[in-house]
This record gives sequence, structure tokens and C-alpha cells, in this order.
Amino acid sequence: MDIDSKPIVSLEGVSFSYNSQPVLQEINLSLFPGKFIGIIGPNGSGKTTMLKLISGILTPQKGEVKVDNRNVRTIPRREMAKIISMVPQESYVAYNYKIKEIVFMGRIPYINQWKGETIPDYQISYDAMERTDSLGYAEKRIHQISGGEKQRVQIARALAQTPRILMLDEFTSHLDLSYKYEISKILQDALKKELKCIISVFHDLNLASFCSDQLILLNKGRIETIGTPQEVINEYNLKKVYRTKPYIIQHPELSIPQVIM
Amino acid sequence: MKFLPKSEKNEYYGYPNWRSKAFFILIIGFFSILIIGFIALNFGAIAIQPQKIWSIIWQHQTDDSLGLIIWELRLPRLIMAMLAGMALAVVGGSFQGILRNPLTDPYILGVSAGAALGACIAIAFQYTMGLFLAPFLPVFALFGSFVSIYLVYLLSRKRLHLPTTDLLLSGVAINFFFSAIITLLLAISRRGTHSMLFWLMGDLSTASWQKVSWIALPAFAGTIYQISAALELNAMALGEEEALHLGIQTGKLRLKIFLTGSMMIAAVVSFTGLIGFVGLVIPHIARLLVGPDHRIMLPASALMGSLFLLICDTLARSIMAPNEIPIGAITALIGAPLFIHLLKRRNDSDGY
Repeated sequence: MDIDSKPIVSLEGVSFSYNSQPVLQEINLSLFPGKFIGIIGPNGSGKTTMLKLISGILTPQKGEVKVDNRNVRTIPRREMAKIISMVPQESYVAYNYKIKEIVFMGRIPYINQWKGETIPDYQISYDAMERTDSLGYAEKRIHQISGGEKQRVQIARALAQTPRILMLDEFTSHLDLSYKYEISKILQDALKKELKCIISVFHDLNLASFCSDQLILLNKGRIETIGTPQEVINEYNLKKVYRTKPYIIQHPELSIPQVIM
Repeated sequence: MKFLPKSEKNEYYGYPNWRSKAFFILIIGFFSILIIGFIALNFGAIAIQPQKIWSIIWQHQTDDSLGLIIWELRLPRLIMAMLAGMALAVVGGSFQGILRNPLTDPYILGVSAGAALGACIAIAFQYTMGLFLAPFLPVFALFGSFVSIYLVYLLSRKRLHLPTTDLLLSGVAINFFFSAIITLLLAISRRGTHSMLFWLMGDLSTASWQKVSWIALPAFAGTIYQISAALELNAMALGEEEALHLGIQTGKLRLKIFLTGSMMIAAVVSFTGLIGFVGLVIPHIARLLVGPDHRIMLPASALMGSLFLLICDTLARSIMAPNEIPIGAITALIGAPLFIHLLKRRNDSDGY
């Protein structure tokens, strides 16, 4: 851990409960810039809630969430939208917008209501579509394209928001192998270029291991362990959290652990 | 379908200039309103030559009976129909946007019924207790519409968000409940039933310049205010949480749209009665024609709504002239089949 660099996101003693049902308890966490951070854990362990607490959509009952060393509660929503953008798990777009219109919505936090958008807003949207390889269907409508294409459009929209932190909620749910690979390439590329860090919730442990520099394993609203994929994904941890005995093998080319049944 | 800048010259990176698009739609709408409005002035119980109408309008001639028919009867009625149509269509469009549901409109959510109930209560008081409440009728209507939207909101609110299905269902329930109270008021009051019936079926026959001046401000101000929230409504289409992540304060936005919408509806309903289907159908047609972008769709709805109600009212007063058909019946007669047709032919490449 680089001692000089300051954490970009930190949670200090954060507890959150939903209808007096505790979801997250006493979370202490510091996330440092330059990393792809994966959050894993069984269903209902509080993964998505953690993302929402960081982006300020939910407010913890106890503790403090800080982004850039500022309490999230003091950051206005519009300013927050310029810092963090979010790729939702699966979302239904209510009306049949064109792809280019959806990607352009990433510019909304920057557009002055009375002056309107400027040409750089168009340029940024265009570039985001180019990077995610979605220019080919920019003129199509959202209900016309496949699930994988929709996910890429959502990532393009999130990149068009020019955030410093990108958050994703199980971005690979129901995706083909090729899509998973392409999207993780796009994300790694963005992390190198402009993003301070990526925080992603994963359902797929192998993909989490493939993408992440640092993994957070959640269990019943508490952090079980944090570390590199090598440190986190081992039989002891997984058996304790998932309550089944997994087999762990090493990836033949990359030195990362992979889980098989 | 390749999306590339047409050449190096395309400064918009393949994006259309929505300002010129909106301007184009406004120009077309403006001229069609002028033309259709003039044609509509020709209809009525008394036939007047188009040249005569032209000269009456041009010379502002009000000293003979024909001049009075045009200036005091047909013209205020025409303008009131257009204002009402504009307000109903815009509120329908913005409610559909904020609730992410294309089956919403102020009628279904019970806002219109609330306004009508407020108005009917004022009439019932007037006839039973002899209180002269006519000037305060819009206030009663406004109060009624606020009460209904607040009830709907209370009934469907969950801890963090507002589930649309719950909202629609409570709207439907409130709508039935309020309509039942209106029917009850009708049944128990011996006098004033005619003026109450008017609120149930919609009627523009009592239009006057004074009423036009009452409606004009809330209709125009509300329309402009709601159109100014168009970009935020676009973000809502992605989902409530996505809109929050785009920096939209969704709770405030909802309050803004609901309050201005209820105000517009109360202003319209207290002078025209309940007119259904405009708020539901017109935004659908607008979306089909110009796409779902609210910055273009809402102004287009405003224009089409005023044209639609103008045409319906002309039919209402001329089909069985000199008898009148309630305008609510005409809008539903035209609107319902149109709506079914649209639903049947809808497909994924359409913009709605």
C-alpha cells in the first residue's frame, strides 16, 4: 500500500439497516486510487447497498462515508454525478430512446438548463460510443438491441459522464464469454486512461478474480476479508462464506485463482 | 445504419440539432393552428361566409350579431379549447415521464376527479346554503386536485421510492372513489344537478373571454415550466436510481411536476369539466411522431393537444347543431380507437 496516496473512498464505522433489518454493520474501509476493486459475497450480503452508500443514494444510520475526503452527505447530487457514475445491473429504459440519445444522457449533470448542451458534449458522447464499440448501432433504439449491447451502451453512458470513479453492479449478468472479455478490456483501458478507480460488484467469482486488483469479500453485512484475488479466493474463505466446498485451481496463463464446483 | 460523422464538417458528431428541430415543429404547429382554427370558426349553428369571418376578425367588428357570434362566442371557445388541450396533453406527457409509465395521465391518477369533486362541492354549497361560491370555484378545484394527488402519493409511498404500479392503482381507486362522491352529490341535490353533470362530461359551451383569461396564465406558465424540466424527465426514463446517479433530485422533480401539473389541471377542469383521453393519447402520438426526447416531445404534445381538442370541440358543437354533444364523449370516441390502433401497430423500432 502506497503510504503517500490518500484514500479516494473511505467508510468509517458505517452501519446501515433497512426497515430495522441490518444490512451492513461497522464497515471500515479505505479504497485507494488506481485500482479495480471487486466486491463479492453471497446474495444479501450487502454488496449493492455498499455501492449505494458510497454514491450517497443511501445514507448510513451510523458512521461516515467519504469521497475525496469529503463527507458524501455534504456533496450536492449534481456535483456527485460528476465524480461517480454507475452502471446498473439490469435496467429497463421506460421509453424507446435511440442509443445515441441514451449515451448523451451521461452529459446531463454538465448541461446548463438554459444554455443547453455544447459541441464538446456531443464529442464526448461520440468518443464514449467509439470506445465501447457501440457506434454501429447508435441510430437503433434501446428496445431493439440485445442484452450484451445494452450493457455496453450503459457503460458508454457512464463513461460519457466523465466520472472519476466508475461503479458497476454485476455488469456481466447474462453475458456471453466474448462480451465479458471485451467489457473487462474496455474497463481496464478506462482505468489506465482517466478513471481514478473502478468499484464493481461481482456475482461471478472467476470474473472478479480476472478483473480485480483488490477484492472485498462480504459476509452477512460484514467484511470477511480484503486483499488481492490470491489472498481472498481460497478454500477456507469461500467455504466459510458460501458454505459449500469449492475447488480452486490456478489459471493456466495468468497467476490468478479460479473457482470450479 | 452506420453512425459516423457524415464528413469532417459534421460538427455535431452525428447528433441532430434539437433546437432547430423544436423550432421547425413550433412553426408547423403554429401555422396548422391558425389554419385549422380559421376553418373551425366556420362551423356552428349559423352559417357565416369565410370572407365575412375574415373581415370581422380583421376589423375587430363587434357591433352586429355576426360580429358578436364570432368575437364573443366562437373565438373565446376556440381559444379555451386550445388552452385546455395544451395543458391536458403536456401534463399527461410529463406525468408519463416522471412515473416512467405510458399508461398514466391526470385523469387516471385521480387529479381530474379531485378537481371536479372540489368544483361540485362548491356548487352543492351554493345551492343548499345559498353561499355564492362561483368566483372561488377554481380554488375549490385546485384544493380537490391537491388532495387527490396527496392521497395517491400517501397510499403508494414506500420507504425510499414510489412504485409506479402502486401509484397507478391508488390513482384508479381514488378516481373511482371521488367519482362516486360526485354521483352521490348529484343524487342528493335537487338543484344544481345540471351544472354538476357538466363537470362529469366536459363542456366548453360557457366559454368567455373572462374564463380564457383565467386559464391562460396557469396553462402557459405551467407548460413552459414543465418543458424546462424536459432533460431531467429524460434521465428519469433510465430509472429512478440512474436519475439520482445523474445528479437529478428525483423527489424534488416529482414534487415540481405534480404540483404544477395539478395546478394546470385544476385551472382547466374548473372551467371545462372532465375531459378524458387527451392527456393519455396525445403524448403517445407525439412520441410516435417525434421520438421520446421530452425536449421535443412535450412542445409537440402541447401543439397536438390544442389542435386535437379544437377539432373535437368543433365536432361537438356542429355534428348535431344546434344541440351539443359533451366534448368528453367526442375525445373518447376518437381517442379510444386511435389508442388501440397505436398499441396494435407498435413495434421495437418505434420511438415509444
